[in-house]
Amino acid sequence: MKIRHSAAMLTLALGLMAGTAHAAVSPSELVGPVTDYKIYVTENLDELVKDTKAFTDAVKAGDLAKAKALYGASRVHYEGIEPIAELFSDLDGSIDSRADDHEKKEQDPGFTGFHRIEYGLFVTGSTDGLTPFADKLMSDVLDLQKRVAGLTFPPEKVVGGAAALLEEVASSKISGEEDRYAHTDLFDFQANIDGAKKIFELFRPLIEKSDKAFVKKVAANFATVDKILAKYKTADGYEYYDKVTEADRKALSGPVNTLAEDLSKMRGKLGLN
Amino acid sequence: MIEREKNHDRLDAPASPDRRRVLAGLGLAGGVMVSGLAQAATTADTDAHVTDAPISDHMREAQPFHGLHQAGIVTARPANGMIATFDVLATTKEDLVRLFKTLNERIVFLTTGGLPPQLDPRYPPSDSGILGPVVVPDNLTMTVSLGSSMFDDRFGLKNFKPARLSRMTGSPNDALEPELCHGDISVQICSNTADVNIHALRDLVKNMPDLLYLRWKQEGSVPVMPRKPGAPAESARNFLGFRDGSANPNSSDAALMDEIVWVQPGKDEPAWTHYGSYQAVRIIRNFVERWDRTPLHEQQQIIGRVKATGAPFHGKTEHDVPDYASDPEGKATPVDAHIRLANPRTAQTQKNLILRRPFNYSNGVSKAGQLEMGLLFICYQADLEKGFITVQKRLDGEPLEEYLKPVGGGFFFTLPGVRDKKDYLGRPLLAAAGLA
Repeated sequence: MKIRHSAAMLTLALGLMAGTAHAAVSPSELVGPVTDYKIYVTENLDELVKDTKAFTDAVKAGDLAKAKALYGASRVHYEGIEPIAELFSDLDGSIDSRADDHEKKEQDPGFTGFHRIEYGLFVTGSTDGLTPFADKLMSDVLDLQKRVAGLTFPPEKVVGGAAALLEEVASSKISGEEDRYAHTDLFDFQANIDGAKKIFELFRPLIEKSDKAFVKKVAANFATVDKILAKYKTADGYEYYDKVTEADRKALSGPVNTLAEDLSKMRGKLGLN
Repeated sequence: MIEREKNHDRLDAPASPDRRRVLAGLGLAGGVMVSGLAQAATTADTDAHVTDAPISDHMREAQPFHGLHQAGIVTARPANGMIATFDVLATTKEDLVRLFKTLNERIVFLTTGGLPPQLDPRYPPSDSGILGPVVVPDNLTMTVSLGSSMFDDRFGLKNFKPARLSRMTGSPNDALEPELCHGDISVQICSNTADVNIHALRDLVKNMPDLLYLRWKQEGSVPVMPRKPGAPAESARNFLGFRDGSANPNSSDAALMDEIVWVQPGKDEPAWTHYGSYQAVRIIRNFVERWDRTPLHEQQQIIGRVKATGAPFHGKTEHDVPDYASDPEGKATPVDAHIRLANPRTAQTQKNLILRRPFNYSNGVSKAGQLEMGLLFICYQADLEKGFITVQKRLDGEPLEEYLKPVGGGFFFTLPGVRDKKDYLGRPLLAAAGLA
């Protein structure tokens, strides 16, 4: 008899789309954070243009040492706003794809962008032949800046971006696969985390009203990740990823995956589809 | 949101005809046979050492979770099995307790089945949904064991390590890959279908990201051999084409299991370990191309059985006991044949008996274009040293090694059973250590 009861409950649940656990957030309350986020993205793109210019200039000038030194930091402002940049999949492919994404790997003519130049600098050990890639990267980044300027930011994409950034970290940063030639993954790691934390902080007041425990838990996990990453900060950036101990990689995976789970609930908490 | 506990209360009842009608009404029962039988039908051979390997009965949908021992050991072996091992991410004693309580809660839900919490569709769903809206247990068992690494300095468990638990060391023929070895916790997941096992694993991964880090997993399957009326039971074949498990001790013989499988009071083991067991897991790759190019006569000499029937060389069926005493020089069964080394059938080697519960695995293709397949070997014993470790030492150097390469696995201690709803997995250990 008990079981029949549960089946009835199922029908009920499926029929009514039971439960509304999200905060009563009106669309007008989202305008402020979304606008602030667009400003954040715009500022990041300005920095990205500046950094990409310095980086590609060094590549084109044949200054191998300088280009290698600039590589890690040059990507930071891209990684922080990746959920928005990824809305333009053609540009994301040409700016940030990895060799794995291409049939002929490093030798594939479609392999361009940051990681193609990274391969030249850190594996081939030369700037020879990289000028066309540098020119294309610069023009792609400028194109991205222009396209984002004309973009209306959908709130669900903005809020969903926090979880998307953590998925990036969970799938390719923990393993050190992002910058496999330069091992500068920690720049990207921190940038993804910072980008996600920015989104969380912007919407935090709206969620805090209804779910203080959630906000507290998320903030604590961000703090744990930041604390571990801080151990690897150097004067001009971060240690190479191969310096990150096995224990710390594991210690990062708990809060990272928990953040990925929790941030995936942010849209629901804000009543966004 | 519908609370999970309420669902448990509703569905905690044993499978019943009512339930079958409910499932049929939902269009979910397809193929799954549901019965109100209170006990699993098990094979009833009386000979303690010559029985068929335990096979799935298909007559019960859910295996009981509560009991003196954990399920999934003497439980009839269903068609699909998996070992997943995890490292513990908890760093505090409080979180360690939360880990065991959460693990217990998830396993109770998954092995009982029921309706997962229904959430607003603007949230990610609470369940992966790969089994449909209602989770069916489908004979699922989840058996939790601890590796020796759990008994380090992290949680103050050092003085509570089971006396014979060690970190698996490589045998001479092993080529262990570190990423396929060891782990703080192993979970053996078995059920009628691979999807149910995957569902269970995904549930743990989703619900415990801050507590568990998935280290490795290996899935396997085994053909379920239905018992033919009036005929002796048959053992399933491994990927070498031989019957595997013919000499397995009878898992439905409780007294025998007390002797071979379960840690008993009155020995030198810590009290919390009583009614638990030692689990040895090995991922044993078989070089099947080479094996298939080996003459049948040689294959049979290497194994010590007739390939077609599984019978020993002096017998007619796989259940006949080989008579090594009258064959000291190995004229009939070579002295280095696999089954003779594994179980010499002497009075002294009776204490080395183990309960095997293996699955065949098939993973893909090696860089050399060869098939990556073999045996997910799992065995249980009351004494790891007298059991698997001694048996493996006898097997070191056997001719079969040419065709085998163990690449992974680990040694674990299988926790005692969860007595009732007030109890939970690991509680006796935590209580002994003053954590619960």
